[in-house]
Amino acid sequence: MSNAITEIQQAKCLLIFGYNAADSHPVVARHILKARANGAKIIVCDPRKIESARIADQWLPLNNGSNMALVNAIANVIIEEDLYDKAFVQNNTEGFDAFREIASHYTPESVEQVTGLKAADIRLAARTYAAASEAMILWGMGVTQYGQAVDVVRGLAGLALLTGNFGRPGVGCGPVRGQNNVQGTCDMGMLPHQFPGYQSVADDVIRDKFEKAWGVTLSGTPGYRLTEVGHKADEGICKAFYIFGEDPAQTEADLAAMRATMRKMELVIVQDIFMTQTAEFADVIFPATSWGEHEGVYSSADRGFQRFYKAVNPSGDVKPDWEIFSLLATRMGYPMSYSNTEEIWDELRALAPLYAGVTYEKMADLKSVQWPCPTEDHPGTSYLFEGNKFSTPSGKGIFIGAEWRPPLEQPDSDYPLVLSTVREVGHYSCRSMTGNCSALQTLADEPGYVQMHPDDAKALGIDDQQLVWVSSRRGKVISRANYNDRVNKGVVYMTYQWWIGACNELTIEHVDPISSTPEFKYCAVKVEHIDDQAWAENYVQTEYSSLKARLKSHVANA
Amino acid sequence: MNRFVFADPNMCIGCRTCEIACVVSHQVDGKLDGVSPEAFAPRLTLVKNVHVTTPVMCRQCDDAPCAQVCPNNAIVLEDGYVKVIQSRCIGCKTCVIACPYGAMNVVTTMVEESKGGSLFNRMAPKSQALKCDLCAHREAGPACVEVCPTSAIQLIKPETLSETSKQKREAAALNAAVASFR
Repeated sequence: MSNAITEIQQAKCLLIFGYNAADSHPVVARHILKARANGAKIIVCDPRKIESARIADQWLPLNNGSNMALVNAIANVIIEEDLYDKAFVQNNTEGFDAFREIASHYTPESVEQVTGLKAADIRLAARTYAAASEAMILWGMGVTQYGQAVDVVRGLAGLALLTGNFGRPGVGCGPVRGQNNVQGTCDMGMLPHQFPGYQSVADDVIRDKFEKAWGVTLSGTPGYRLTEVGHKADEGICKAFYIFGEDPAQTEADLAAMRATMRKMELVIVQDIFMTQTAEFADVIFPATSWGEHEGVYSSADRGFQRFYKAVNPSGDVKPDWEIFSLLATRMGYPMSYSNTEEIWDELRALAPLYAGVTYEKMADLKSVQWPCPTEDHPGTSYLFEGNKFSTPSGKGIFIGAEWRPPLEQPDSDYPLVLSTVREVGHYSCRSMTGNCSALQTLADEPGYVQMHPDDAKALGIDDQQLVWVSSRRGKVISRANYNDRVNKGVVYMTYQWWIGACNELTIEHVDPISSTPEFKYCAVKVEHIDDQAWAENYVQTEYSSLKARLKSHVANA
Repeated sequence: MNRFVFADPNMCIGCRTCEIACVVSHQVDGKLDGVSPEAFAPRLTLVKNVHVTTPVMCRQCDDAPCAQVCPNNAIVLEDGYVKVIQSRCIGCKTCVIACPYGAMNVVTTMVEESKGGSLFNRMAPKSQALKCDLCAHREAGPACVEVCPTSAIQLIKPETLSETSKQKREAAALNAAVASFR
């Protein structure tokens, strides 16, 4: 995020796009409510009437998969109605003319069909956003989990550039990350083309620095992204898969393809805190400590480093992740030893200028330090681009426009409904942690739910809470129908953490060309009524019990 | 006037933390380990429909319909709230019918009943009429108020009501001044 989460309260307008804070980040939802109480105008763009939409000044229930068309239309209004900040655009940006050219094709009237929105509503939203002295955009997976994702991100950033909403408190762009510490994994160099601190592996000077520090030769060729691994395995290039703190057999799109990928690997290592379905594929399992059993540093979505502390002693034969890595590296001929996480952290900040000044002491207790923090006397950076200096070679913000592309797999007579995968507040991510909490299990349990508009369900003869089959061209799962007046007709919604009702059996591996993130938010499915509900209830219980028994037996036989 | 717990629907984000906190608060050991789905009985329930999201719970009515209809005098006004004396509850559910808020929940479980020697032990139904008790057993007050991440849930006291009413009257007076007839 360009600006701190706490700055949400300072905004005079919040444009919330494909982001359900109440279910994904209740803490951010609180800031949104505070902003509203402070008088901020709230605009929510989401097909579902999410909690923020309920309290918004304006809710734009756009059609699923029409993001780029709506963003372009908002840009169109801001430019053509002369609402943009000409001085800011003139002095601090590049690429405006090309951006304007693309946006000129997207009058609100022309996108009514694609977005399902009235032109007047789009105009009103654009005017509200442009009129605010401080406007912030928040987006989430409803933007990034489409085949056209990076384009939309650039478009949203373009709206902020148009209106001069950068470089001050309470403005900017907030991609609120999908999971705890996703920001941290990017910060720490989990991206295949970067070393820690967003330093390119292709840069000779940077590589030389890391080679000297670590005493090894490093490759200047970017590695592979997760969605490429399957194809590299097919080509015989990827032979081993080391997975830690991740459950791709639950969370990746098109699980059947993911399982095939793991079977093709000569070696699968899984490092996790519980026996997961991914761990079933492992040749070697390294049992690791959980968040309460070790210390470390997390990055929050707004670049804030926060220390967390060990709360309890681990039980059983487990080790912290960093100790496992050290032991493995040592066995592989690279002696690696640290006595605590602070040593690792200090090594990191010596190599990453963005984090150089973030000491353990400055993060002590509950304090947060936001990068960039280049020196130890630097307090950290609440908002980026102060003085309108952007982190581009020219120092200017760059407009990048794009034409709208529809999602890949459109509904047809065989698969007439759209499936979009979403979150629910009570369960976190793949549920390997929250699934072991009895209270949360009681609130919602297997096989999970498929949220349907009552009219769609009734047309199929499906009652509320009945078990149903949901299938796509890739798979078929059982789920429980949830009549939901807040969802749009023609689209069904499932959360991705269920084992039996695993929606990722259905999703499609159609990836954004730049981020390689799959189109989790759009594929064609059908929902079918099950006549024998007693059989279906029994089937769910049997399947769930046998899966749990199988996972348990792996542990017992280990 | 009785105090009562109330939630502001404009602040509620539907997270259900209040439901869990309520169940935790009413466990003997304060722990949730091994609470079965049957025993999971929060005394407030999140309502989420197309228009509104908010937990609904007992208003501690001063002239409580549940207390009026209870045939066994199990529901009494005591300690500043509407209290159920569980030992007197016979599970007739009349209070459930009477409550205008749907805030009463009768839960019946089978418990072992001993009459003399273990030879005569038998399983017998035991009913409890569960409703908000303002967490009277908790020094810190209602658990739901404490955990709500958006501070949507509040304990309304007589002085809270008179203060908000005063503020509303002030606002109404101002509006009246603006909208004067001539």
